Amino acid sequence: MPRFDDLIHQPVRLRIMAALAALPPDASLDFTALRDMLDVTDGNLSTHLSKLENAGYIQVEKTFVMRRPKTFVSITEAGRRAFEEHVAALQELLNLSSSSGKTG
Amino acid sequence: MDEPRVPLTPDEAKAALAMIEETTRQMRRMAAHGGTPYFILVWGIVWVLGFGAGHFVRDPNILSKIWLVLDVLGLLGTLYIVRRIRKSGIHWQSGATVGWFWMALVLYAGLFIYVTRPTGMLLSMVIALWAMFGYVVSGLFYRSRFLSTLGLVVTAFIVVGYIIFPAWFNLWMAILGGGSLVAAGLYILWAWR
Repeated sequence: MPRFDDLIHQPVRLRIMAALAALPPDASLDFTALRDMLDVTDGNLSTHLSKLENAGYIQVEKTFVMRRPKTFVSITEAGRRAFEEHVAALQELLNLSSSSGKTG
Repeated sequence: MDEPRVPLTPDEAKAALAMIEETTRQMRRMAAHGGTPYFILVWGIVWVLGFGAGHFVRDPNILSKIWLVLDVLGLLGTLYIVRRIRKSGIHWQSGATVGWFWMALVLYAGLFIYVTRPTGMLLSMVIALWAMFGYVVSGLFYRSRFLSTLGLVVTAFIVVGYIIFPAWFNLWMAILGGGSLVAAGLYILWAWR
């Protein structure tokens, strides 16, 4: 049975994971683009990224592009699995409620 | 409080799934419009016009000028798309490697053509095959089954057209070669809209 993941379910982290899971397999996302997409502050995003990184769900890479510091974020295999399981658990809950609604 | 309580209610699950769907759509739109499908689209259009002209224009001098103009336009389009990708915020880990790979491919294809001196239809086929080899390998770098499959399918069209329909090769290449690339580019844009 798929497992809910408390760490992922927090709304900002859920959207972070959804965005990173939707990226093509070889790609990562710029911190600024992610911040703008989620409409959160730098500090807020950093806090959530740290939690996901500590759980091993995402990878944060700091590098230089054209001599400018850049931070790129990507999902790990463990993160993708946990996210897919969380989505499956949400879907299952919804299916159960709709089938019990029909029978009950 | 930071962490949600579990188990969730069906309404909370529904809201979470809607949020995931919206973010996924946003991300895919960003990835698609960042540029990747436009590469395929631009070179598909170049093939449709170039091979299409090859069917109707008989003068090789005029034809080579048409191809030159189209290739320059394709190259300019490619440079513009690379700029767009850089600005999109999406970083392709193999992007630089693929760029170097294409440069090496063009160099080796050029050397191969210089040494073997193919002409006419054979030259068109050789260039098209090298390009599709590039698609297949780029697909492997990007872990994109779609791109590699597209390269293999168009390769099959090229070989079949060359062997079975040599009299119609240019038209065949314009419709099935270039047409497949255009269709694939449009499909990605549609699927990730």
